[in-house]
Amino acid sequence: MCVVCHLFTNLKWFSQNLDIVDMTSSNHLDIKYQWDPSRDGDSAILTPTASVRIKRDLLEIFKDPPPGIYVVGDESDIRYVHAIIVGVMDTPYEGGFFYFLLKCPADYPILPPKVKFMTTDAGRVRFNPNLYKNGKVCLSILGTWTGPAWSPAQQISTVLLSIQSLMNEKPYYNEPGYDRERTPGDAKRYNEYLRHETLRVAVCGMLENECHLSIPPQLVEMMESTFLQFFDLYTETCRDNLRSDGEFYIDPFGGNTGCNFEYTKILERLETIRSNLQKKQNIPVSLPFTDGEGSDEKDV
Amino acid sequence: MKVTIKKWTGVATWKWVANDDNCGICRMAFDGCCPDCKLPGDDCPLVWGQCSHCFHMHCIVKWLQSQPVNQQCPMCRQEWKFNNK
Repeated sequence: MCVVCHLFTNLKWFSQNLDIVDMTSSNHLDIKYQWDPSRDGDSAILTPTASVRIKRDLLEIFKDPPPGIYVVGDESDIRYVHAIIVGVMDTPYEGGFFYFLLKCPADYPILPPKVKFMTTDAGRVRFNPNLYKNGKVCLSILGTWTGPAWSPAQQISTVLLSIQSLMNEKPYYNEPGYDRERTPGDAKRYNEYLRHETLRVAVCGMLENECHLSIPPQLVEMMESTFLQFFDLYTETCRDNLRSDGEFYIDPFGGNTGCNFEYTKILERLETIRSNLQKKQNIPVSLPFTDGEGSDEKDV
Repeated sequence: MKVTIKKWTGVATWKWVANDDNCGICRMAFDGCCPDCKLPGDDCPLVWGQCSHCFHMHCIVKWLQSQPVNQQCPMCRQEWKFNNK
């Protein structure tokens, strides 16, 4: 049992460090960023099957949306799909907005889509043992991890559902070799760190768009209305944790990164975001979106 | 009353007999064709695996060609073998 765990840890170490090795080879760009939809340099034209399948995949999600998963096709390039996973309740990710960019290869669905995780505070936060700071998503069906590989019977929704299942109640245990806590309380402390970073980066950071991501307007609208619905939940979490302000935490999986807890500051940011959104909604203008916002208000 | 038939036109329909409506790979209807073809019928046939799953021939062949080893059914991951019934 132990041997197996170590083997996995080594494999992961190896795959992380392989990146550095690749830097020296001549075509390192291709190999290093093969998983990365924004840098893979693949501009091949979609096969007819691929473009039909991408539309079908999206249509199926629109018809029967999986809870907490929001998807928009790119307006200018059908190969790209923008997705936001809203953190599931009772997980450290609850109420956070986690943005993913997907790119379907030319012969999709023979090959899986490439996925990049974008909500990383510009490459500073590793939100999960399987969601790296550089945006790499470690998932066997994407070919970035060991285990059951991609099959063309899978689709965009299965990829997003698999990612959602990584973002569970105790993500600490996702890391191979960490099926037991190294020190008692590690899994809980990791959750507290993730909860803080969710509010700081995946709620405030996403609503303020401090990393200047190009998030499609439909998804921005969804975030804004969800933010107002969850506002009390966010502030309650902040108030419950105010006394950990000033503590420092080092991410056991994130190299030497970590964070200073600053719930007081987050609370202020949340208030500012809310008052800005309320101002925006109260302006009586005839934007094409006003109907949608009106109905959202009724729901609240 | 006597009726004289002056002319008649026969109409027939055909249907693939498959245990599913859509191809699991391209997700198009079996009674249509795969997205690479223009017309359904013998030019875009269906094939069955021994696991009983069924696909457009063009779709499953593309998948099998991309898998040099370990050729599996996309639906059930059993080893893929054509069912030549």
